[in-house]
Amino acid sequence: VKILERDAVNEILNEDDAVSLCSMFAGSESFGIDTRKIREVLGKRDLQRVPMAPAFIGGVVPYRGEVLTTVDFRALLGMGEHTDTSCVLVLEDEDGEERFGLVVDAVGGVVTVNRNMLEANPCTLESRGKWLFDGAYKMETGLMVQLDPQKLRPSRLAEAGLFKHRLNGEQA
Amino acid sequence: VREANAYLDAPDKRCVDDLTREFIAESQEGLDRMERCLTELETRPGDSEQLVGEIFRSVHTIKGTTGFLGFERLEKLAHAGEHLLGSLREGKLAVTSELISGLLRLMDGLRAILTLIEATGSEGTRSGDDDTALIAELAALNVAGPVVAVAATVAVGLQTTVVPTAMGAAVAALSDKTLRIDVEVLNRMMNLVGELVLTRNQMLQSGVEATNFPELARRLDSVTADLRETVMQARMQPVGNLFGKFPRMVRDLAQTCGREVRIEFSGQETGLDKSLLEAIKDPLTHAVRNAVDHGIEAPAVRVMSGKPSEGCLRLRAFHQGGSVVIELADDGAGIAIERVLAKAVERGLVTAEQAEGMTEREALQLIFLPGFSTAAAVTTVSGRGVGMDVVRANVEKVGGSVELESKVGVGTTLRLRVPLTLAIVPALVVRSGGQSFALPQSALVELVYVPKRDEEKAVERMGAAELYRLRERLLPIVWLDRLLGLETLNGEDRHGFYMAVLEAEGCRYGLVVDDLLAPEEIVVKPLSAVLKEIGLFSGATVLGSGMLALILDIGATAARAGVKPVEEEIKEAEVLEGNTEGSEVSLLVFEARARERTALPLDVVERIESVPLTQIEYAGGRPLLQYRGELLTLRDEGRVLAELEAAQDRGEEVSVTVLICGGSGKGEMQRTGMVVRRVLDVSGGMLLEKDAASDEMELALVKDKLTMVHREFSVKAAPVWKEVA
Repeated sequence: VKILERDAVNEILNEDDAVSLCSMFAGSESFGIDTRKIREVLGKRDLQRVPMAPAFIGGVVPYRGEVLTTVDFRALLGMGEHTDTSCVLVLEDEDGEERFGLVVDAVGGVVTVNRNMLEANPCTLESRGKWLFDGAYKMETGLMVQLDPQKLRPSRLAEAGLFKHRLNGEQA
Repeated sequence: VREANAYLDAPDKRCVDDLTREFIAESQEGLDRMERCLTELETRPGDSEQLVGEIFRSVHTIKGTTGFLGFERLEKLAHAGEHLLGSLREGKLAVTSELISGLLRLMDGLRAILTLIEATGSEGTRSGDDDTALIAELAALNVAGPVVAVAATVAVGLQTTVVPTAMGAAVAALSDKTLRIDVEVLNRMMNLVGELVLTRNQMLQSGVEATNFPELARRLDSVTADLRETVMQARMQPVGNLFGKFPRMVRDLAQTCGREVRIEFSGQETGLDKSLLEAIKDPLTHAVRNAVDHGIEAPAVRVMSGKPSEGCLRLRAFHQGGSVVIELADDGAGIAIERVLAKAVERGLVTAEQAEGMTEREALQLIFLPGFSTAAAVTTVSGRGVGMDVVRANVEKVGGSVELESKVGVGTTLRLRVPLTLAIVPALVVRSGGQSFALPQSALVELVYVPKRDEEKAVERMGAAELYRLRERLLPIVWLDRLLGLETLNGEDRHGFYMAVLEAEGCRYGLVVDDLLAPEEIVVKPLSAVLKEIGLFSGATVLGSGMLALILDIGATAARAGVKPVEEEIKEAEVLEGNTEGSEVSLLVFEARARERTALPLDVVERIESVPLTQIEYAGGRPLLQYRGELLTLRDEGRVLAELEAAQDRGEEVSVTVLICGGSGKGEMQRTGMVVRRVLDVSGGMLLEKDAASDEMELALVKDKLTMVHREFSVKAAPVWKEVA
């Protein structure tokens, strides 16, 4: 976790503008999700794959007496199979109706950023990216792309139709 | 009206406060009670005092509470109803059919307003929500002028009957979500949860190495079991709750169809899991409707055939061997077999020759075929047939089964058999393509092992379709790994394959899997919507090993693989025929006495179990086995148990092979267990002449070897058969 420089901290002393994001990694890129939307970080789990499921489904995992459906973030980005250090996050939408897991390569830590510093998606982004990404923050180490958990919900992804199949070049 | 639609599309939960919600739930219950009383009142106008009192009270309660909550429209209508009921209670009015109809419409009106309140938070003040006509009708009834009442009935009848059907779904929604629980049960649950917390604390403090850890684990086990049982108990609802809806429905239907029908209940207090109760609601409603519409004849026809003009519908619920049976019997025309067969041939479901050779029982099964139930079938066949395939599919979906019996001129009986609870089901865990799957035991008929060297021979091909010859009957083979697109194991690692013979929704097929794991009682967990959409899995479960396994939907898997129920039904019919009429029978050959071959008819044996000897208990010198909540008496003719005891005394761990025998799946007969040395074979055999010396046994030739066949099972089962046929 990168500790912010003093003036950056001063800048976000105004509490309304401060957002804490949980950083996570997929491939070489880093992403962030608002910590309020994250219920739990499960760490590495054995995923039970579900045959015939859409490509973006990572599998199912037992979670507090329920069967949690997980979304494979690498598959969404069109990356290959997971490395063996995958990590499961439990996300929940605001009214608690749909709970699901997100599988990423690794989870970093919590970073606090200023809401006003968010840069919008570039217009050259392809359609999948436009759907998934919600702007980016400029960090010392590079860009951290913000994700909106609402858009990652399995039912929304299934409706969107963009992610039904794997990207070209990989097996269908 | 547009506003109203907008409200209904997005019902805002927050606009209905807790107090109102409680009021709605209570009022709906009151109206349910009123409905029961009203239909009862019509059948027994003689002892009206208590019933009218009850009805009066429910309407009065609604009126009182609405005044307090400020629903004026509801109050006005309830007030009009109360006024009428008041006159009835004081004996100023007689109970007539018009009066009952009027009160039923009052009830529909009240219900519609309640539904509107639940959906929108307000009782509606628009022009469509005007009750003046209904109130006028009630007032007219109060004056006791039947002629005026009828005129009003027609006008109002058209308007009000539309509302409740549109609202029906919403009414159901509320009662589905709430449940009344005995405080006693809730307290017990709380105590058990407390116990659970205490045990957990102790476990956390003492750690795994502590000496009292095994004891704590045992306590945890017993607390969990108790808690599970209590929660199950809380979920149990009397089937009477479901039956309560029928008198009104039967009454309305009978009036529209021009029938005279009485409905009788028994066993209303029989408990059934709430979710199961919901699941059988539609099939049962459908069956009741069918019975009134097609089962029971018009009064004139009934009198002609020497029956009372009033038909009778009997709904019975009772427990039978771990499941609940709901029986619907009518004394109507019954199902004319010739017409069923003619219809089936016409629709191309069976060929004329096949139809020729069918027994009555087999012909009745045709009604459950999907192609059979069409609109044309309703009008030309006097029996049932509307969507019976749907009834069966719905009941089988929750692990139940459907049976049908019918005698022309005497009546028809439909039996729905459902498990006590849905949440926990016995299942067999199998592996395929490196993954675990659970198959519900209710669909599992038998298991076949094909070793690698026999694989080529065992699988026969017809075009692209693969078949297995199981006791001279071709069974379509479905490879689970191929169907699901899983990786198939390579030739080297394979040791052969297992085939689970499954039957669901009338389809019978062999599902090929790589390996069998242990049978387990699994806890069913629902899948998320996205995964449900795949349509092949009915849920998931956590296995004892902590791994997840998907539960395979047997019926859907068959459909996906293209297994058709029709052909299978006919094949089954042929086999059954062979069993009853020929002397060639399928036998399970085993060794009980040393060096002697003994056999049982295969349809008598439900299961072959391997039980640790320590589980066999003795009472009064007889060996007993606790099996799935039943106590089985064990027959040990070859004195196998004594020999095994001796082996156990020498320190060996031994298990006993027990054949679980039932009565041809009819369940009427007590199950027994038969202790055998080993199971030898399953094979067809020719029965020889009956040996006069031994009553119980008969000789047969099985693969040219002399074999003794137990006959008492089939003899006892036979009367059941005859009764059906």
